[in-house]
Amino acid sequence: MSIKQIATVAGIALALCTPVQLSAHHAFGAEFDPNRPLILRGPVTKVEWVNPHAWIHLEITKEDGTKESWMVEGGTPNTLLRRGINKNSLKPGTFIVVDGYQSKDRSNRANGRDITFADGRKLFMGSSGTGAPEDGRDPN
Amino acid sequence: MTDSIWHLPVSGTMNGLKTALFVGLWVLLLPFTVQAGKDNVPDLSGNYNVATLTPLERPKMFGDNLYLTKEAAEKIASDKADAIEASSQVSDPNREAPPDGGDGSRGAAGNVGGYNSFWIDNGDDAFEIDGRFRTSIIYDPADGRRQRTEEAAKVRIKLFAQFAKPNKGEAWWLKTGDRGPYDDPELRPLAERCLLGFGSTAGPPMLPVLYNNLKRIVQTPDHIMILNEMVHDARIVRLNSEHLPDDVRKWMGDSIGHWDGDTLVVDTTNFKVTSSFGGAGKDLHVVERFTRKDDKTIIYNFTVEDPAVWEKPWSGEYPWPRTDDTVFEYACHEGNYALGNILRGARLLEAETESVSSE
Repeated sequence: MSIKQIATVAGIALALCTPVQLSAHHAFGAEFDPNRPLILRGPVTKVEWVNPHAWIHLEITKEDGTKESWMVEGGTPNTLLRRGINKNSLKPGTFIVVDGYQSKDRSNRANGRDITFADGRKLFMGSSGTGAPEDGRDPN
Repeated sequence: MTDSIWHLPVSGTMNGLKTALFVGLWVLLLPFTVQAGKDNVPDLSGNYNVATLTPLERPKMFGDNLYLTKEAAEKIASDKADAIEASSQVSDPNREAPPDGGDGSRGAAGNVGGYNSFWIDNGDDAFEIDGRFRTSIIYDPADGRRQRTEEAAKVRIKLFAQFAKPNKGEAWWLKTGDRGPYDDPELRPLAERCLLGFGSTAGPPMLPVLYNNLKRIVQTPDHIMILNEMVHDARIVRLNSEHLPDDVRKWMGDSIGHWDGDTLVVDTTNFKVTSSFGGAGKDLHVVERFTRKDDKTIIYNFTVEDPAVWEKPWSGEYPWPRTDDTVFEYACHEGNYALGNILRGARLLEAETESVSSE
């Protein structure tokens, strides 16, 4: 295999698994407004562990001190369920940070482009043995 | 199993009664135990996880080469693991909102991005059959790629142009004079309406997708049921039957099957014209062959033809490895807020565009 082929194979692999410039059930571009970027910080209030996509609710505190409820869209819960993670794995009160774009209908909904804990760790990700998704490198 | 029943030691009336009840129960259950013994056909029942990184069509760089080297296959698996590791890294906790005007993401992520990779489950590596890794699921034609007819290619380009509009948060369709893609919920893709999974996951042909790649097969002497986790699509195959009349059309077509030796052959026609599969039309015809390779694997083989869409029939195959994982319910309508969000969003953008142009 030539260097060019190896590079292309790497490119294929990368294209297949780059996180995740795809949302599959529906086009996120149809639902969310690129002119309304936002960053949300606050405690989780509820998790809707539903298909086709899960929704995580949180409460943010605005600059004037008032509270506002938001919900952010993730992927299918089935994938996480299969890895032993369920709606109770993310407790209400857990402080999260979400960046995304607001729904075109201007409701308090956004895509969960990157959902993390307050310290930036990915939700449902972590070191092996924590119930986090397998990454192919976990010890058996 | 049967030997152990028939040779139970029996002594006394109670034991005889117990044995009679036991045997009676066994006889009652017999019809449900799949007639693997009676008809000498393999039992395909079970759960399968069909996720693979191998694409349907072969990347052009491989030409007519169906096989990946072991090193290339290992690199694909290693790159996947690297990508997952990279996507698991800590984000800046003090990060700001993403760029105004969009993040430049393409495809379905439409300039706003998708979601974290921990929601994704599309396999860890390329698949292999008989110890050799494949460059594509399609093996015929020799280049592993479907060749569309000229007319079908034009239709596809037009369709693509419509969906490939950059998402600028504007009601661009008002300027075209054509019917807008959000005018009616029935104009939205079947997956968005929770009618069928995207990417031909339910098929036929049944192809691997980004997540929810589990299948459950339930086999009886007269029927085979194949449940797809994605969008809860259940295919029911009638064995040794005839196709329904031509005017009866179904989302996943009308499937009949028979055993050809140890291979289950399923023939499907009578698709709805709006079938989600690759722009195929009403004459789409799919023949699938399920062959148990060993007690842990089915080889799933298929041939697709529709002369109006493809120059010639094309065939593919990939393994379905058995899994102990559970197939979960996928009640798609349960939380499908997206469709409402999309349609409400379109109405709002239209109102804004109209109010600006009337000023």
